Parts: sequence; structure tokens; C-alpha cells
Amino acid sequence: MSVASSSVNGGLLRRLRYRYSARLLLSELLGKRWMEPAIPFALMIGLIVWFSMVTTNYATLGNAQQLGREFAEAGFVAIAMALTVISGGIDLSVGAVFALANLAALVFFQLYQWPVGLVIVATLAIGAGIGAINGFLIGYMRTRPFLTTLVTLIVLRATVDLLGQHFSIPLAMASRTSWTWDVLGVGWIAKLPSNLAILGIVAIVGHFLLSRSRPGWHLTAIGSSRKAARHAGIRVERVLFLTYVMSGTLAAAGGLFYAARLQSSGSDTGIGWEISALTAVVLGGVSLAGGRGTVARALIGAVIVFVLVNGLVRMGFPGALSSTALGAVLLIAVGIDVKWAKNRGKAIQKIYVNPTMVELPPSPSITADGGTAFAENTRLQASEEIGLNQVQGPEDIILDRQDRLYCGTREGWVLRFSGPNFEHREVFARIGGRPLGMAFDRDDNLIVCVGGMGLYGVTPAGKIYKCTDQTQRSLLKLNDDSRLRLADDCDIAPDGTVWFSEATIRYEMHSWFLDGIEGRANGRLIAWNPKTNKTRTVIKNAVFPNGVCVAHDGRSVLFCSSWLCTIYRHWIEGPKAGQTEVFAENLPGYPDNLNRSSDGGYWLAMVGIRSPTFDLMMRHPDVRQRMIKQLPPDEWVYPGINNGCIVKFDESGRALESMWDPGGTKHATVTSMREHKGWLYIGGLENNRIGRVRLPDADPAWNGCDAYWGAKS
Amino acid sequence: MTLRMTAVVAMASAVLLAGCEAGTRSGQEAPVGTASTAQIKAPSLTGGDSSANLQKRVDQALQGKTIAWVPIALGIPLADIWTQVMRSEAEARGMKLEVRDPNWNTTAALQAVSSLIAEKPDILVVHNPNVQLYAQELARAEAAGIPVIQVNMVSNQKTTAYVGADWPKVGRLLGEEIVRSCGKGSGSSGKVAIVQGEATSAVSLEQMQAAAEVLGKDPSIKIVSNQAANWDASKAHDITATVLQQHPDLCATVGFWGVMQTGAAQAVKSAGLQGKVKVYASGSDGKLDCDNIDSGLITKFLNYNSSSQARSVIAIASFMLQTGLPPSAVRMADYSPLQWMEKGNYDPALCYDTSKPRSPAK
Repeated sequence: MSVASSSVNGGLLRRLRYRYSARLLLSELLGKRWMEPAIPFALMIGLIVWFSMVTTNYATLGNAQQLGREFAEAGFVAIAMALTVISGGIDLSVGAVFALANLAALVFFQLYQWPVGLVIVATLAIGAGIGAINGFLIGYMRTRPFLTTLVTLIVLRATVDLLGQHFSIPLAMASRTSWTWDVLGVGWIAKLPSNLAILGIVAIVGHFLLSRSRPGWHLTAIGSSRKAARHAGIRVERVLFLTYVMSGTLAAAGGLFYAARLQSSGSDTGIGWEISALTAVVLGGVSLAGGRGTVARALIGAVIVFVLVNGLVRMGFPGALSSTALGAVLLIAVGIDVKWAKNRGKAIQKIYVNPTMVELPPSPSITADGGTAFAENTRLQASEEIGLNQVQGPEDIILDRQDRLYCGTREGWVLRFSGPNFEHREVFARIGGRPLGMAFDRDDNLIVCVGGMGLYGVTPAGKIYKCTDQTQRSLLKLNDDSRLRLADDCDIAPDGTVWFSEATIRYEMHSWFLDGIEGRANGRLIAWNPKTNKTRTVIKNAVFPNGVCVAHDGRSVLFCSSWLCTIYRHWIEGPKAGQTEVFAENLPGYPDNLNRSSDGGYWLAMVGIRSPTFDLMMRHPDVRQRMIKQLPPDEWVYPGINNGCIVKFDESGRALESMWDPGGTKHATVTSMREHKGWLYIGGLENNRIGRVRLPDADPAWNGCDAYWGAKS
Repeated sequence: MTLRMTAVVAMASAVLLAGCEAGTRSGQEAPVGTASTAQIKAPSLTGGDSSANLQKRVDQALQGKTIAWVPIALGIPLADIWTQVMRSEAEARGMKLEVRDPNWNTTAALQAVSSLIAEKPDILVVHNPNVQLYAQELARAEAAGIPVIQVNMVSNQKTTAYVGADWPKVGRLLGEEIVRSCGKGSGSSGKVAIVQGEATSAVSLEQMQAAAEVLGKDPSIKIVSNQAANWDASKAHDITATVLQQHPDLCATVGFWGVMQTGAAQAVKSAGLQGKVKVYASGSDGKLDCDNIDSGLITKFLNYNSSSQARSVIAIASFMLQTGLPPSAVRMADYSPLQWMEKGNYDPALCYDTSKPRSPAK
């Protein structure tokens, strides 16, 4: 269900237009890693379709099989090249290794009459051996890949020529055949040409190895930055060595299949294949700079090159022209590669923020003499300081049964202040991420929402454990929303279920304020059941859900929607269970954390106060869109999040009183507060302190742990 | 995420495959050797039929038929003469010549042959880069009912017809010529350099064997260099220049193709040895070869007359189409007559200039 736009003005069409934006789809599409080869993939399909239309008998099973058989060997060489390019290098010797392997396999099989198994092993070993020489020089001796493999290429080519002349006459006369050899060359595996089937297996294994395994990640990391990879403890030399061994072996596998298929020891075998392979790899979207690419992309590129050359040959283009076309394609691909790598991020940035329409009624008065419960005063200025300059950004605060004060910090720690005046500061837990909302469970474990990580727990002894970091994925969302990006605040229902908000799934901790410019329903309310360890998204499409508080009777959960300036009540028990209703709306500011008060009401922190300007901007998405496009980020109009207040509500959602710090000298941002034994403790996302003010009328014995879980002896 | 990409690729190829009909299996299934008369189903004809009827039958057999032709490369006199003559001869008979130009790229060449088989031309004419490369494909073509004519360089897989030089004979004639001028009693050093073409092509293999046999009979002949220049004139030049530095007293260099041997001849000339080192070659009836003979670059040249080879190809194609014989019913060869050419001693009609095509009237 959606609680996106509560106030309804303006045309339905206009609202729909902003709610479902094509730009949004595009920006999220561009952000996907699998979108990088989208253009090559489309080109590949386009070429195949086009040649099917202009060439006779192209789209027939027989032709597809024939093409597949001819393609497979080039596919092996392309993967070989891709591995080295992803590792930040290049292997120019692939074509020569291919040729040598072809000749070797023919000599072993035809002249030495070895059994096929031995021929395969020996041929692959030759490729691996040459790869090992390349890898040793590049990995351990740190020679330049380009020059090293260029030299290997020249040496191997000369070797192939010499050996070729020596063996050409006996090879031309030889005619040994064997069943296994024919399977390798002209056989079938599951209706696929054998070489294509094996290429497919190698590609799938290679793809997972490269993109889903530790060695593959190491390889990619080295390609991105050899230095950083070394600093990260990756054994750069060994990984590079193995990469070139793999490359040599794959190229040799190509040569082996070629030998079995054609029995041809022609001296120009493999000439120029390194260029076609390089073209294929770059065309498929493997970056020449290294660190970016997959086996699938290399193969997409290889198919394009193959289909293009094959198609031009078929259409009777003069040979020189097809070579030129291939060269031109390489040039364009390299150009696009450079431009794409450089500008993709920028392009996404330009279109990622997609403002939608938020219509708020005029804000209630906050002036000192306005007569509302929000009337400005100076009550927060009397606050006492705790941990002044010892704490960075205590977004949320909480106190335990021993009156110790906890807060999360920018460093990713949970700090604990203890002693009569909280003068003793210690790091209670180093969780990492950005600790935000907190709550104690029945067993005094501290449950913490950690931005960038998920929901975590810390035992009283300080041991950290993960509660949950994912929920079910929405089927129709491009952004993978199964992972928790920005768990914000949590509270715990009597049955132990942890209710928590995830403010947005489109932005990270460092860019959450962009969600404010967008105003879209990107957040959700999630429940984690510790007994079953199940995580369930209860409400999706909530607009920046922030503070969460289980009502005093435990039958409903209150949660704030910051950009809609509204608090909702979601029923979890009783006749209305599952329904969501408005608790309080049209607040004068952006609501943040929400907590119980001792008198049966709720404290609300407002992180910022609305301004008529921004309210107007929120009504006009186009203006914000133009602003994002045309102005640098530091000149954008953001929701005001620099001066807030604390408001108290009763159980019915009526605002009772407020506490202010005009000018923000002590509490520049107020994102949380917690009542504890007659004091109200105050935290702020950007503050350098925790504050507390005495609540003269409050129950001096009331505290959160007892209120939630009952007194403990 | 990239996993999904792979799935999409797989699906796309599945769709591609599913949308196709069943094809034929490749392999060497074509019967090899001469077919028995039972297999030949030529119509029996009476001798007294009218000329008009004959004309009609020929037209029916040839009009609109396609001859597909895959040389190693265009842009060389040999292939250009073949192509020009084949085209004009074919068109004069109402047939069409489809040319594929792989431009020396054997990978592209093989693809061209494979794809032509899929397109089912009526006749396939190939110029084999080496004895093995097309072997399977040629068998596949014949199995698909396409008669295959091989020009000048034959494959290990023999097909309907071979039209080209008798290479052992070429090797023998060149060898005998060398023995005459460099062998015992010639007063020369007896040193001979051989510049082979592509070592795996039939031309090199067969010519080399025959030449080596002849040269081996004369103990005063010493083969000081025997290298493959892969039909490349500049490679032939480099090889020969090096040989001449080591052996300035070289008696003769023999190249397996005139155009390539031009490079060797230039090396001889730049070493200042023109006239002292004899330059032999075999080749087509191209104008370039004639010019080289006239300018003294080539001492003696064995011409296998490529324009007449092209006419033979079309004649055999015409024969196959008119008789309707299955490809494997015929295993024939038409060996080209050879002619010696040397400066001031040859028939200028043997020089074919592609810029002045000798097209038949239409």
C-alpha cells in the first residue's frame, strides 16, 4: 500500500506524471552494472537481425550451427584477451599462441600419433607454458604487458613459421583420423557444435569465476589499481601470473579446436587475431584501462566482430574494405569506451534525482506569539552539555537501566557515557556504517539501525551481532531493494518484533538530503521478527520514513514521513490491524525521531523547519529538475535542516508543547530525544554534544526500559 | 546482475536457434571417386536433333545460374585475370559470377566458402590457400549437391574438377632449366636459392618435391636457401637480399610465383647482380610478368596462362550444368599447357592486360 501523497490538489494526470517518471527508469537502468554492455548487446542483436534479413539462408538452424562452429575458436581467444585486459594488461600473443597450439596439436596428433587425450593435455600445456613466461615477466618482473607480449608474439610467430616449414610437407600428406579427434573438430554436444558447447561451458565457469569469486575479484581489483590491490593485501604477482597462464591456456584451447576442425597448418593461422580479439573485447565493453569487464561482455564483442566480418564477406564486400570496417569499429569502440567510462557517472548524476510533486498546506505558525503549540521559545538553550566535543553527530541517544547514555557517531561507533555527570566516555561497540536509531530489547540488547549496513544488535557485554540486512525484493523495481541501504530508526513491539524504517532505497547515507529534493516515496517500514529471523517489508512507497515508535499500548506503530511533514499510525493489533492512518499532519517542520514520554504522549524531534520557498519548490518538480541540471549542487535549494525543535504530542496526535533553541547555538540540529528519569536527553545528527533539559512536571522515576519491558530487579 | 545478462544472451540464442529449420549435418559423406554409370542420369539424346533445340536446352541449363568464386585475394594479376575472364565468359552464357574477396585472410576465406554453401550456388569455384583448410567444406559442398571446381591450387579433398598447372611438371621443368644453367659444366657456383610460396599450399608442396628431385640428381647443385615467402614479394625481397649477402656468387633464384619473385628480382637488381644471378619463376599471363621479362628482372618464366584457365573453369561449369551430373560423378583435371617465356622470345598474345579486357561480344 502507498501513503505517498496524502494531500490532494492539482490534476491527477500531473501527479501521475511525476509519480511514474521515464527518467527515473532510465537513471536506474544506467546505474545497473548489467546495463554497461547494453549498447553492444543491442548492436549484436541488431547485426544478427539485419544479416538475417539481407542474406539468404542466414536464419536457418544449419547456418546458425555452422556459424557457431566457426565462431567458437575466436570466442576462446577473445576470453583470453579479456582476462588480461581486465587485469589491467594486454596479451598480444594470443593469436600466436593460437597458431602455435594449432600446429602443435596437428604435429602431436598426425605425426607423433599420440592419443587424443595426450594431444589435448600437451597442447594446453604449451599454451599454459607460454602464458607462464608472459605472467612471470609481467607479474614478478613487472615488465610492461604491451611490450612483453608483443615480443612473445614476434618470437612465437617466427617459431610457427620455422616449424611450419619443417612440418608442412609431412602434415599435408598425413591423414590420421580418430573418433575423439573428430568429436573435437566436427562433433556435436547436445545439438551444439562441440567447440561452441565447450566454449559455452568455459564462458559460464569463467563468468562466475570472474564476477562471483574471490580470485576473480582480485583480478578485477588489480586491473582497477595495482597499487591499491597490493595495499589491500592481494597477492598481485601471483594473480597476474595466473591470469596470463589462463590466457595462454584459453588461446591454446582455441588452437586445439581449430586444428581438430580444419587440420590446416597454414602459415597465416592466427595472424591478426589479437587485433580482432582486442576489438571484440573493447567493443563488448571491457575497459582498456582495466578493472571493468566480464566474460559475457567479451563474448558479446566477439560475436559482433564475427558477425560483422562474416556478414561483410557474405555480402561480397572487398576484403580490404572489411578490414577497414573492423578497424573503424575498433576506433569507435575505443572512443565510446573512453567517453562512456568518463561520463556515465555524470550522466547518471544528472538524471538520477527525479523530483516529484509534494503539496503541503500552509504551515502552522511557529512565531513566539502565534499561540500554537509550536510557538518558538528558548527552552532548549538551558540544556546541560554532555560529552561536549567528545562526540560527533549523535543521531540517536538512549539510556539503559543503569542510567548509562548511549549514542551512535559518525565514526560508526556506539559511545557510552557513564558516571554521575556522564563524564566517563567509552567506545561501547564499533559496528561501522552509520549508527542511527536505537532501542533496547527485552534482554537489554541494544538494537541499532546502521545506515549502509542494516539492523544490528549489541549485547550488554558489547558483542555485535547482525539482526538483518535484507528484506524481500520488489519484483518491479530496478534498484535491488533487497539490501537495506539506510535503516533509520527502530522500536520494538511487545512481541519482540523490531519495527524499523528505511528512509530511502535510492540514496546512501552521504546523499540522503537529495531524497529531500526528490520528495519521492522511496522508503519503507520493515518488521524483523527475531524468533523466526524473518524480515518483512510492511509498507513500501513511504516518503522518507524516519522516526519509529511503538505506541504505549503496543497495538500500533507510529512513524514519521519527513518530507510529507506527517506522522502515521500503523496498526499492528486489534480490529484495524494492517491499516495505516494519519496521526498528525501538516507539521511546521520535518519530523525525525519519535519516542514515548512519561505522561503517555510522544516526543518528536523536528530536524528542520519548513520554509514557504521550499514548500513552493516542492509543488513544482520542474523547477527543481531545472535547478539540479543547471546549478552546481552547493547552490541548490534544500529542505531546511539546520534548526529544529522538540514537540510533544498526546496519544491522539495533538501537539501540546514545543522546545526551541533559536539560532541553534547549542542544538543546531535536533534529530532525537529520550526521556529518562525526569530529564529529556537531546541528540543531533550534526552536533558535537548531547544535551539534557530537566522536565519539571515529568515522572522522575519513568524510564524507557521499564516502560517497555517492566522493571527488573 | 551480470548473471541475468548471460541468461538473456542464452535466451536470445535459443530464440535464434528455435526459429530455424533443421539443417544438414556437415561431414565427409560425399562419395569419393568415379561414380558408376548407374548413378549418372544424363538424358539420352538423339544425334539428329535440331540446332535450335540444342540451343534451347543449353539456355535452359545455363540461364540465370550462379557460379560462386572465392580466390585467396583480389587485386593481384592472377586472381584479377581469372575473375575478369570468368565473369565475362559466364555472362556471355547468361550466368552470374558471385565473387568473395577474403583479402589473404584465411579465416575470412573459410567463412566465405562456408556461407556460400549455405547460399547454394550452382557451381562453387575455389582457390585453395592450402591443401587442408577447405577440405571439409568442399566435401560438404558436394554433399549439398554443389559441384566444386578448384583452380590452380588443389585441396587434399578432390572434387569435380581441378583446373590449373601440373605442379610436379612445373617443378621438374624449372629444375631442369636450373640444372642446365647452374649444374655440372656450367662453370657457375652451382648455388641455388628457392623461394617457396605458402609452404602448405599444393603449389609449393608439389613443385618443391619435383624440383628437389631433379636438382638432387646433380651433385654440383647446392641449395643454399629454401624458404617460404608466403606469396609476399617484400618477404621474397628480404630473403633474397640476405641470401645474396651471404652468397654473392649465387647462380640462380627460383620463385614459385612470378609476382612474389619480383621481390627477389628487385633484390638481385639492387645488389647489382642483374644478369649474373638468374631469376626463374612460374606464373600467370599477367602484364606485370611480361614487363618483368622485358625489363630483364626475370630471366626465364614458365607461363601457365591463367586466362585460358578461367575459360576452362567456365567450360567445365557449363558441362556440369548441361549434363546435370551429380558433383561426385566427375573427378577430372584440366592441366594447363605451359609455355616458356624469356626476353625477346615470347608471343605477346600471352600477356593479358586487365585494363584491356578481352570480353566476348554480347
